[in-house]
Amino acid sequence: MSKLLKTALCSFILFSSVSFADVAVIVNVENGATFSDSDISRIFLGKLKKFSSGDKAVAINLKLGNSTRNEFETKVLGKSASQIKAYWSKQVFSGKGKPLPELVSDKDILTMVASDSNVIAYVDAASVDDSVKVIKVF
Amino acid sequence: MNFKKNKIAKALLMVGALSAGTAQAEIVFNGFASIVGGTVSTDALKSDGNGGTIPDDFNGYEDGSFDFSQDSLLALQASSDLGNGLSVTAQILARGENDWDPSFEWAYIAYEATDNLRLLAGRQRVPFYMYSDFLDVSYAYPWITPPQDVYSLAFDTFDGLAAIYTTNFGEFDTTFHAIYGGNKNEMIISGETVESPKFENMMGMSVTVNRDWLTLRAAYFQADMDIPLQNDGLGYLSDAWSATPYSDVASEFVIEGNSGEFLELGFQIDYNNFIIVGEYTDLTVDETPIAGGESMYIMGGMRFDDMLVHVTLGATDKALDNFISHVPTGADPALDGLIAGTQGYIDDAKNEASYVTLGLRWDFHDSAALKFEYTSYSDDINSDNDAGLFRTALVTVF
Repeated sequence: MSKLLKTALCSFILFSSVSFADVAVIVNVENGATFSDSDISRIFLGKLKKFSSGDKAVAINLKLGNSTRNEFETKVLGKSASQIKAYWSKQVFSGKGKPLPELVSDKDILTMVASDSNVIAYVDAASVDDSVKVIKVF
Repeated sequence: MNFKKNKIAKALLMVGALSAGTAQAEIVFNGFASIVGGTVSTDALKSDGNGGTIPDDFNGYEDGSFDFSQDSLLALQASSDLGNGLSVTAQILARGENDWDPSFEWAYIAYEATDNLRLLAGRQRVPFYMYSDFLDVSYAYPWITPPQDVYSLAFDTFDGLAAIYTTNFGEFDTTFHAIYGGNKNEMIISGETVESPKFENMMGMSVTVNRDWLTLRAAYFQADMDIPLQNDGLGYLSDAWSATPYSDVASEFVIEGNSGEFLELGFQIDYNNFIIVGEYTDLTVDETPIAGGESMYIMGGMRFDDMLVHVTLGATDKALDNFISHVPTGADPALDGLIAGTQGYIDDAKNEASYVTLGLRWDFHDSAALKFEYTSYSDDINSDNDAGLFRTALVTVF
């Protein structure tokens, strides 16, 4: 019994010590637009296609299964990976939209955002450097 | 059948040829599938007319056997971006209940006129209901199939034109979806396979408003109908009434130049771990032998990690107008017989029913879900038609 309790306690400590990384939403340094949380969420769901400046907004995703992506979808979009998958399958099979383009790593994302003023993306907050502009950390 | 497959091969080639002309020729393939197994339990056994009984059936399922074909389906979609806002899409769907014969569910060319306006020409969905756009994509909603009594019109697609306009009123994303076209495909109407029905001048619009967790929807459509029903009973009643002084009644059994109207109202609340969805429909097909009326459901669900538990309550109330109320009884025995026969038809067409569905969806995989559902169906007019339907499904998108 006490062995079981110890195991439970151990796993509880282990589990609670896993701190989830923060997610930084980033744009090009030239991008002067303003963003509410709802704007960010709507851009990443393909519902809002322009920045507040009127410029075209292109949202980029990390690959499915990436932990930063899971974190972003939970915290910012308020949905699980399967809910997001269901959302995009509605768009695809009704011809109303296409899933966001995907990149493999934070490094690829940073390069892309640094070079294109229409791009908005997110990375692990720890990966951010001064080649991009952070608009919000979740 | 060979001809059909030929047609499909040709169309796929065409999509390929069209896109091959552009610099970045690329065809994107997507698909979805549902493998559904189910069985039904009923209290009453139907008579086979020879003193024996036959297994009762309900929504295509039979008592005492487990069926895997009725609701199973597989679809492939090919789409290609032609550049300058033009794209072409074909979706081919095969259903188990149709011996897996493939047919085109969608085949259209789309043009993004502006960021807010999208025009579609070709075969596409009529946005009758909240889930019309992805009616067969079970992965996209909680149930195995949407509530059948509400999603009950004879067809779901049309050939024609559509304009989809999206705009934002503050944080309210609003979509207007207007259509014009028709449908002349073989379909089942009043339990009869009609080879060449005509739904023409079909037009209407749906409006969807969404903000964060709240979605509201309304839709209205109308169409002109010519439906050559071959039902002997209807033909007999029509001929018999033509020979009476009340010949106007005869036209009630014939669908020629009639018009039909359809109204839908719906809402969806998707808040944290709760989901509530409701839909109401009203079909008006006056002066036809088809019962019109109302149907509705409300569903409540709760998510626990990768599980979704849901309950749906639904009700239907459909009937024919009593179009012989002006005919006097007791005047002529022959007429009385005809009145009795017609009254029998009117009474038979009445449908008052309610149902409860309990369901579970388990997202056990990134691209697939397992679903279980039990529906208890009560016929408020004839309890012999009460039934319990159990189904399980493996659904996926790829």
